[in-house]
Order: sequence, then C-alpha cells, then structure tokens
Amino acid sequence: MNHPEEPAEAEPLSDLKKGQNTSRGIYAIAGGVMLFAFGALVAGVIHSHGEQADTSKSAPADGKIAFTPPPESKIPDGPGGDSIRHGMAIFRNTGTEAAQYVGNGLTCSNCHLDAGRKPLSAPMWSAWVSYPQYRSKNKKMNSMEDRLNGCFSYSMNGQGSPSGGPPPKGDPIYTDLEAYFHWLATGAATGAKLEGAGFLKLKKTPLGYDRLRGQVVYQQHCAECHADDGQGRTDLNSRSIFPPLWGPHSYNWGAGMTQVNNAAGFIKVNMPLGAGNTLTDQQAWDVAAWIDSQERPKDPRQKGSVADNAKAFHNKEQSFYGKTVDGHLLGTGTPPAH
Amino acid sequence: MSDDRRPVDERFEPYEPRRRVPLPVYWIAIALAIWGTLTLWRDAHAGFIAGRQRGDEAAADTRRAAAPGADLFLARCSSCHQPDGSGIAGAVPPLAGSPLVKADPSVVVRILLRGIDGPITVAGQHFDGHMPSFASVLDDDQLARIATYVRARFGDNASAVSPSDVAAARAWAAGHPGPWRGGDEIRAALMPLLEPQPAYVASLIAAPDPSILALVQHGTGGGWSCASCHGDLGEGHGDAPRIAGLSSPYLLAQLRAFAGGARTSDAMAPVATSLADAQKIALASYYSQLATPSASVPALQGALDRGEALALDGDSAKGIPACFSCHGSSGFGVAPAFPPIAAQQPAYTAGRLAGFARQAKQGSHALMPSVAARLDDADRRAIADYLATLPPVPTGTAPPAEQH
Repeated sequence: MNHPEEPAEAEPLSDLKKGQNTSRGIYAIAGGVMLFAFGALVAGVIHSHGEQADTSKSAPADGKIAFTPPPESKIPDGPGGDSIRHGMAIFRNTGTEAAQYVGNGLTCSNCHLDAGRKPLSAPMWSAWVSYPQYRSKNKKMNSMEDRLNGCFSYSMNGQGSPSGGPPPKGDPIYTDLEAYFHWLATGAATGAKLEGAGFLKLKKTPLGYDRLRGQVVYQQHCAECHADDGQGRTDLNSRSIFPPLWGPHSYNWGAGMTQVNNAAGFIKVNMPLGAGNTLTDQQAWDVAAWIDSQERPKDPRQKGSVADNAKAFHNKEQSFYGKTVDGHLLGTGTPPAH
Repeated sequence: MSDDRRPVDERFEPYEPRRRVPLPVYWIAIALAIWGTLTLWRDAHAGFIAGRQRGDEAAADTRRAAAPGADLFLARCSSCHQPDGSGIAGAVPPLAGSPLVKADPSVVVRILLRGIDGPITVAGQHFDGHMPSFASVLDDDQLARIATYVRARFGDNASAVSPSDVAAARAWAAGHPGPWRGGDEIRAALMPLLEPQPAYVASLIAAPDPSILALVQHGTGGGWSCASCHGDLGEGHGDAPRIAGLSSPYLLAQLRAFAGGARTSDAMAPVATSLADAQKIALASYYSQLATPSASVPALQGALDRGEALALDGDSAKGIPACFSCHGSSGFGVAPAFPPIAAQQPAYTAGRLAGFARQAKQGSHALMPSVAARLDDADRRAIADYLATLPPVPTGTAPPAEQH
C-alpha cells in the first residue's frame, strides 16, 4: 500500500520541481544574456570614451559627409594607373614634372598638404566633385582644366616660367592631374558637401587683423622653418623643404592665398606643420596679414596701373593689393626669379 | 519540529543536503559562454582576413621578385630621385637618361658605394651633388639588385650587376675612402667621355686643434670624454647619439642647452658645464665635419615598414606629419634647427621621442612635443629602427681609412 502511494505523492512534487526548474532555466538564460549585454554596453562605453573627444570634434556639423580617399597602394596597374601616378608626381614635384610652366619655388602639395589629401587644406577629392563650377573670379563656368590653368597662372606664377605661362589647353599635364584627382575622389558623391572641403572659414576676431602683431607671431612660430625673410629653407642639395612665403619664388598677386582670410584659415588648421590648431584665431589672422603684406610677383592680369588692377580684380577681397605699406605700394611685383 | 518525532533510521547515512546552484552563477556562466563564442567567431574571422592579407603579400612578393630591386629602389632612392627617376630640378639629378646609369656597370656601383660630395652636371643640368654612401647600410646583394634595377629601368636595359661585381668594387673603394669629389673626379677616374664637369673646389676645413682632439679622447679631466660615450668618430652607441655630421650650430646649441639646463641629461649636464664656451664652439665644429660611416642598426624590434611610412608620408589619420617634411630628404636635416636624423642610434631616437612626448604631457605646445605626443611606443620604435637603416648625411670629411 505504501508503494503505490509514494509515486502518487512524488508526481505532483516532481511536476512542481519541473515547473520550478523550467522557470529557473529561463531566469538563468535571461539573466545570462542580460549580464552579457550589460557587460558589452559597459565595455563599449569605456572604449568609446577615449575617442569621444575626437569623434565629437569631427562629427559632421551641418549634414556634411565624411570622406577618406583611397590609399596610394590602391592605384591600379596599367595605363590608367600610370596616368594617376604621373598626376601625383606632378602634384608633389611640380617644378620638375611641369618645369616649363612653373615660375616659382612651390609645388601643388605645399598648400594642398599630404599630396592633396589633407582635410581643410583644400583637398583634391573635394575639389573634384565640385567642378565644373561658376567662379566670380573669372566670371564664367570653369571646368577642372580651367581651374588648374588658374593655379598655374597665379599660385605657380606661370608668367615667370620658361614657357611664360600655364600649360596650353589640352596639355597632358591637365589630364594626368585630373586622373589623380578623380582617383582620389573614388566613392565621393558628385556635388556632395564633403567634410573638410576647401579651407577653414575662420571667424573674424573683434580686434581684426594687424600685420605688425603678425610679425611677432611669425618670429615666434614660423621663422624657424620659413626663415626670418620668408624665403623658406632648403636641404643640403638645395631642395626646397620649407616653401618661400613671399618674394620672387612665391605665389603671385593673383593667387587666392594673397587673400588674408584664405591664408588665415589655412594657417589656423595646418600650421605649424604637425602642431595645427595651436595658434589662436587672432594669431592666425595677424600672421596671415604679415605674410600677405609682403611684395611678391605681380598679378599677371594687370594691364594698367596697380590702382586700376586693384579696382578690377581685388575690390571685394581682403587683400593688401594696391595698399601702401611702409611707403611701398604693394602689387608692383618683384623682379623676375633667376 | 516534525524531525524530532521521526524514528531513528538505523540505515541512515549522513549526507550534505543538496543546495541549488544560485542563479547568478548560471548568469555568469552563460554570459561567459556567449562572450567566448563571439570571441572565437571573431578570431576565426580575423584569421580568415589575415589569410587573405598573407595571400596579397605573397602576390606582392611575386611582383617584387619579377623586378628584383624595385622595392629597394622605392625605399632607398625614390625619395630623392623620385619614383619615376626624374630627379628634382636644381637639387637632385635625374636617373632617367643619365649617361652615368648607362655606362659601365662599375660606375653606378662605385657611386652607390662612395656617394658624391661635390658639383656635378647631368644631361646639361648643374647640381650641387650630395649623395650618401650606401656602403655601410646595404650589403653586396642589395646593392647589386638596386644597380641592376636602375640600369634596366633608366639606362635603356643596360646589363645586370652581380653581387661579386659589388664585392670587387667594395674592395676597390676600401682604398678610396670618402665620397666622390663631384662629377670631375668621376669623369677623370671612370668616364673620360662624360660631358664637361664643374671643377671641385675643396672647402677649407681647418685641421682640428690638437687640444680639441685631446678633449675628444680624454675629456676635461674628471669628466667623461666625448669618445667614451659617442665613440671615437662620433658614431654613437646605445642611447649615446651619433653626433658626427650634425650641423655645427645645432651641436653648439645643444651643448649650451645642457650647460644652461634648458635640455636635461644627467650624462651631458656635468660635461657641458665643465666645457668653456670656446671649447663648445670648437667641438661643435669638429663633429659637424666628420663624415663617419653609420654604426647604427635596428635594435628595438620596430616594424621597419611602419617606420618608413611614418618617415616618408606620416600618418594623416593620427595627425603625424612625415619626419622628412621637416628633417629634409632622407632625414639629412635642414640647418639650423632641424638636425639630421638618418643613421641615428635607435635607442637614442626612441628615447628622445619619449622625452618629447613627456614634455607635451607637461603642457608644451612646441613642434616636436606636439608630434611626439601622437606616437605610441610601437611607432617610436618603428621610426627609430627605420632611421637606423638609412645612410648618414653625405657631407663633411671622411675619417682616415686606417682607423677602420
């Protein structure tokens, strides 16, 4: 009698146990998953905390798209790749690869740092997706070739080159440079507002800019590399390491960099090289004014007097062109470089 | 209470009541299991990607093997002569179309071994030639591969060069120490039909004062001598830097900084303090004129390809500019503020970079602290080891041959 009773008694007990075990199992699994999720969350927070400062700084402010150009190792083989590589060689070593059309001691990559890759130093991947473009500078629709023609005319001072001007229309120099830009912009959307495009538009300061305050900044932060006289420095083979900022071997009065606002935006982010964003906005404005209030090769567009040319081309610019500084009328130009 | 009423069971065996495993133990076990599975899966995935990368590298190796010397040319020659061999107008002669490249194979090899320090005319263009000697940093096989590649690519498929050719040229160069004195000496010794070359004008280097040589070898009495740490010829050792061939203004500025405390070093402070200023000037001048072969070798297990990338191109993602963008082509320095960094002792370079990073932590916004702060330990070792593989700055006076 006892025997049959026992299972009868045990059965409801084991049912209860089973029920308890099932719910315990569910609690165990759910708890385990939640613990893992919580752990992953904590680890994620700790991990991202270190990068927080950077990501918040580079977060797209006004719906601009982040973009990174492909690495050099991804340049394809074959004739297309050769054109890209030659474009890159022209960009880095302009005075040799386009010797006929360069009238100063600069290369493209002196201002478009990192061979045209660095954000906020007018990178070429952002330029590529913004052309053709209407430019008030020459009041017409500009193709990329037109734009490059302008670079050679002004920033590279084509008037002082062996050929006396920029490369002629259709020159392979343009094609190869464009091949390089096109490749750099691989994956960028046409016409997109890319993060890091152009130069920084530096906000005006209450004090405005002052060239003599800038002279002090220059001596402290720039002269070690670009020399007191702004003529840059070379290595023992006379190869230019730090580019000349004014004088006969620098950009001429038609270049965009003669506008103090452009130079200030470039300097703020990129200079001193390797220690960008260490100057205050005020220092960047002032030192840009010091650099851009020095004489340099004349504006190739000048037909009449400096005053006429100032009215025709420099009217709306923040520029020292046509102003008299220390008794010297800026814009008269430097003697041709040897 | 009810237990008390139970009869004593004779067969009773004492036992530990089975306690249920607490739920948190299950939680932890399950969480760990999920984490373990995920990690295993990720590792397997990484292994798959690494395998693919190894495949890519093998393909790159095959490509390199197809043109032996191409990788060496890119690493050793292209930063000055450019990847396409076009050189730099007014600064570095072109290889493409150069008669020296097409000539007898011994010409290229002997130039690679001795370097050039004097004016040279190539294809009608005049250059103030300063090319380093690769004798102390590349072996016969590497030099043979570079010479073969350069001659094939830029010299109209000129004949190959073998390691034994290089060995023979090395034996010859041992009797001809120091760099070629410009194109003039090359023309006279090797290529009488070369275009007319500018005359070499020896720069007037005063023989060092015997008192300075005594200072170098024996010190000021009490203090260490220069040679006891920096070597007989300023080649450096361990964390004592190579000082041969550094510019005189730079060396003088450092000696004065050690003496004044602006640059701290337990080893250098007492030495620099004990030197009179005139002695500092003379020592700076003496060491700036020494063209000592490199005695530096990679010693820090740094990744050489990472070091090369940082030196030539920097790392824009980390905001690190190329070393050479300020320290000049191949790290030969830009006077007066940027010293040569090529052929520097790796322990010194890495230590100096770490020191700059400390200055940044203490609030310095100066150039080198700003840059060094973005380098981690692996980057510092990579740069230091890479720079140790470079040839020394090609200027100054060769040490007497018998000292080696």
